[in-house]
Amino acid sequence: MSIVWAILRKDLVTEWRRRDRVAAMLVFSLLVVVVFHFALPNRATDQAPAGAPGLLWLAYVFAALLGLNRAFALELENDALSALALAPGDRGWVFLGKAASSFALIGVVQAVTAAAFALVFEIDLIAAAPRLAGVVALGTLGICSVGTLFSAMAIRTRFREVLLPILLLPALFPILAGAVRGTAAALAGTPIPFEAIQLLIVVDGIYLIVSFLGFEYVLDE
Amino acid sequence: MGAVLAVLLVIYAWAVTNAPTDAVQGVIQKILYVHPPLAYGAYLGFVVTAIGGSLYLWRGREEYDRLAIAGAEVGVIFCTLMLVTGPIWAKGTWGRWWSWDPRLTLTLLIWFVYLAYILLRSFSEGGERTARFAAVYGLVGVLLIPLNYYVIDLFEARSIHPENLERGSLGEGMGWPFVVGNVTLFVAFLYLVLRRWEIENLRARWARTTDDGESLGEEGR
Repeated sequence: MSIVWAILRKDLVTEWRRRDRVAAMLVFSLLVVVVFHFALPNRATDQAPAGAPGLLWLAYVFAALLGLNRAFALELENDALSALALAPGDRGWVFLGKAASSFALIGVVQAVTAAAFALVFEIDLIAAAPRLAGVVALGTLGICSVGTLFSAMAIRTRFREVLLPILLLPALFPILAGAVRGTAAALAGTPIPFEAIQLLIVVDGIYLIVSFLGFEYVLDE
Repeated sequence: MGAVLAVLLVIYAWAVTNAPTDAVQGVIQKILYVHPPLAYGAYLGFVVTAIGGSLYLWRGREEYDRLAIAGAEVGVIFCTLMLVTGPIWAKGTWGRWWSWDPRLTLTLLIWFVYLAYILLRSFSEGGERTARFAAVYGLVGVLLIPLNYYVIDLFEARSIHPENLERGSLGEGMGWPFVVGNVTLFVAFLYLVLRRWEIENLRARWARTTDDGESLGEEGR
């Protein structure tokens, strides 16, 4: 367990000193939101488009891909990845630490993006915030779990930045199916359908377990 | 096995051409003798990949990894042919090439997962690490099949894809060509997987002998 905290703390401290990962994700996801605005030119300005939940998740997924791609970039220097593999105890704990730090950093980006999104698409964010935060947290947990597992693989291949989206996107379908429906309800101010929550919890559980166990075979000395 | 397959193919072609023409759908109904057997082959290939991958992680023997390659590649070929024959039938019967029917969506997703699997292999530098990564990804991939079924069941249960086997809707004289089709394509599947596995084993042995500076002939004895 102490490995999880050590890695989480290390990642957050390095990010606080450099602030490059969050900054890159943030600028990128804000740009995506602005692009959406121009991509949907003929909508009425006083109402959110029907596809708003899906658009928000597209921005989130793009930002997460960017962030996850950098999750192990620092470790690649000076072969710190091998040192991580030598951490005492199960490598699953290393996975949890890395996934937790990505979750925290992506969460910051998501909060700011949601605010910008609400401004551009005229959404009452204050009313939607509690429910939205719950759905987004559940969805992001799943993205960060398989995302961390696949990122550790992609970083060791050629074309690493290209490979991660190809590996990750097919696995995100179950998460997005639940998250977009939950987000739609949250933005509309209605209770979140139970199926969406149920699906997200089941998928998160499966992905966390699989990634925890699979990480053993993904790191090497 | 190759001879058996050749004989079966002749019988198969004869059975399909002599099967009665469907009164409603016409000649396009004959895709039925090709399309479902391809589907079984596709899923079987992905199961073979998962089995090969898990055996590799468990026992660490390279042969199992090579079996996983064979399963994925033959599975992708079967899946691609299924995705080609399906729309041809759909255009004639439904009037359009594609519908976002649950089963079609699921197959498309799984196809992408295994394309990603093959890309992951080809972008990695080969050897033991590639085998480990591929095994982990193959296991996640096979897990996605029931998971996606669950998602589709949860949200979009309606389907326009025929359920011929459950309803027993095959007309007079169509049953045995269908059986012959299943048997032939199953044998074709086995044959292709085994040959692909053999090729990969030979390739590995050749690489080993050229590394050691020995001749292939001596190693073969």
